[in-house]
Amino acid sequence: MDMTNLSELVGLLTPEISVSLFLVAIVIFDLIFNKDKKILPFIALAGVAVTLFFVVSQYGEIAEPIKSGMITVDKFGLYFKVLILISTVFVIFFTLSSDEIKASADRLGEYYTLMFGMMLGMFMLVTATDLILIYLSLELLSLSSYVLAGFTKLRSRSSEAALKYILYGAVSSGLMLFGISLIYGLTGSTNLYAINDYLLSSNGNVVILALASVMIFAGIGYKISAAPFHFWTPDVYEGAPITITAYLSVASKAAGFAMLVRILYIGYVSVSDATGHWTVIEAFDWQMLLIVISIFTMTLGNFTALWQDNLKRMLAYSSIAHAGYLLLGVLVLSNQGLIAVLIYFFFYMLMNLGAFYIVMLIANKTGSENINEYDGLGYTSPFLGVALTICLISLTGLPPTAGFIGKLYIFIALVDAKMIAVAVIALLNSVVSLYYYVRVLKHMFLTKATETTPVVKASSFEKIVLLALVIPILVFGVYFEPIINFAKNSLAGFGL
Amino acid sequence: MLTEFGKIFIFILVAILFVLIAFVMAKLVRPSRPTYEKSTIYECGEEPIGSPWVQFNIRFYVVALIFLIFDVEIVLLFPWALSYQDYGFYGFAVGIIFLVVLGIGMAYEWRKGDLEWARPKIQVPVLNNLIKRSEVKSES
Repeated sequence: MDMTNLSELVGLLTPEISVSLFLVAIVIFDLIFNKDKKILPFIALAGVAVTLFFVVSQYGEIAEPIKSGMITVDKFGLYFKVLILISTVFVIFFTLSSDEIKASADRLGEYYTLMFGMMLGMFMLVTATDLILIYLSLELLSLSSYVLAGFTKLRSRSSEAALKYILYGAVSSGLMLFGISLIYGLTGSTNLYAINDYLLSSNGNVVILALASVMIFAGIGYKISAAPFHFWTPDVYEGAPITITAYLSVASKAAGFAMLVRILYIGYVSVSDATGHWTVIEAFDWQMLLIVISIFTMTLGNFTALWQDNLKRMLAYSSIAHAGYLLLGVLVLSNQGLIAVLIYFFFYMLMNLGAFYIVMLIANKTGSENINEYDGLGYTSPFLGVALTICLISLTGLPPTAGFIGKLYIFIALVDAKMIAVAVIALLNSVVSLYYYVRVLKHMFLTKATETTPVVKASSFEKIVLLALVIPILVFGVYFEPIINFAKNSLAGFGL
Repeated sequence: MLTEFGKIFIFILVAILFVLIAFVMAKLVRPSRPTYEKSTIYECGEEPIGSPWVQFNIRFYVVALIFLIFDVEIVLLFPWALSYQDYGFYGFAVGIIFLVVLGIGMAYEWRKGDLEWARPKIQVPVLNNLIKRSEVKSES
């Protein structure tokens, strides 16, 4: 590694460097203005804006994927970085009107610092093509989110969430590390391209390869909350502050999926033909594993959500179910499937953030997320009621909303890959999900408002943030061309 | 034919057997006459006071954390000091950035008051058995 190489690397890493610098800036400002925390959200927003500028300019400059040591900078990774940045902006806005966070406002400096730590971890995760760097960034992401999950430390539910999160996280990242060490022993490298070269040239020990692959999937499955590794999700989502819950359910899941796609489509792929269909090496049947996990995940998520009375828990199970749908897009092993994943994630971000925001605004007023608190709320607070309706209908995947377009593309990819049976199961799952989403609407609109029904008034700032989430859901439901093109364009530069 | 791992396995086996044999032999050979003094907990010859299961002050952990950070710093700085010249200015800058970030961490701990040991609250002495002023007046 000489000097020119290093300066090139610095050029490739501008978004990550910008995130790190603003992380340090937040710490320093917090130390200088010890008591005054008003400036911190603005530094955070400035950090996101500057980083977004670097990401967008990189997106414009890079035509071909650039491989450099442990990282690969390509449009696929940059797409996920844009998603992460957009959700960060919204989570910062959510924080400004969250009563939970206001109660522990003296620790806001740590809050934003750790949030930038999460962002840095996610940025490295979507760029990394080396198992060691993947593991390190996964740990950076996880450690920051453990602390944030227990941020409101005086509430015992929050501490419980953080403890459960760290225990499950320690086990699954340990499993993943063991899997990585087995892969290293087998192939003699941690670089995904080198691993792929080895797996193509020699058959190796099939049993060890299968064992290592399943172990690596344990780490990924934990991050995206896929079924056998999902146990932490409801408890952590319920206990963590809602702003962090929303962040975990969108950004951290997106980074996990980017990691899965990188490992699967770079490390294990054997042929990718011009029509955009991929073949995975025969030694380990990834497709079968992912089909089983995906069906298990969405069925479990949807059926368990039916019994939930706490809205946060219900949305947690719904996010498990959505991880199942998203896995469908990965396992079809075609460019079409990957495009569907990218599109779905964009819409999923909007509707999930919107739903969590409304639940937070209502919990600010009523102090609880129980479904009975929503009785008649549609009449006393029509604005929030209608917005929540749009988000939930979109999460179900019904036509005039963006969620429908996302699901449609995933089903098209499935049918094109001739997996009709899987598509039918996924479709039936969507029908099940309709019940628990509409149950909330029933409580809001089909129960008459009484004198005790709380009136939740959103401030004009909160209304603007909410409209910024809800209007795109409706607009992209009919005019989805720009997102499709953005996703297709991003996948064209996938670093194989 | 032994592989390299096979040799390690023999090492492990020998290590386990060595300890086991030593314990079993000692058990067979030694006389066993325990008294009260012999079976108390060894505390440098002092008589043990109270249970050893006491709660440590949480501040010990903070001190341990600070120590750990600087411990790791030393481990990372030694190889850097030996080789930064080969990488010119960039090599130097990398080490400086590392030190600055670590310094900010130290400043953070200082500013947030983690370096201060719990200061005892100053107790203003209060006397309860003072003779009341009114009583003194009435006597005189």
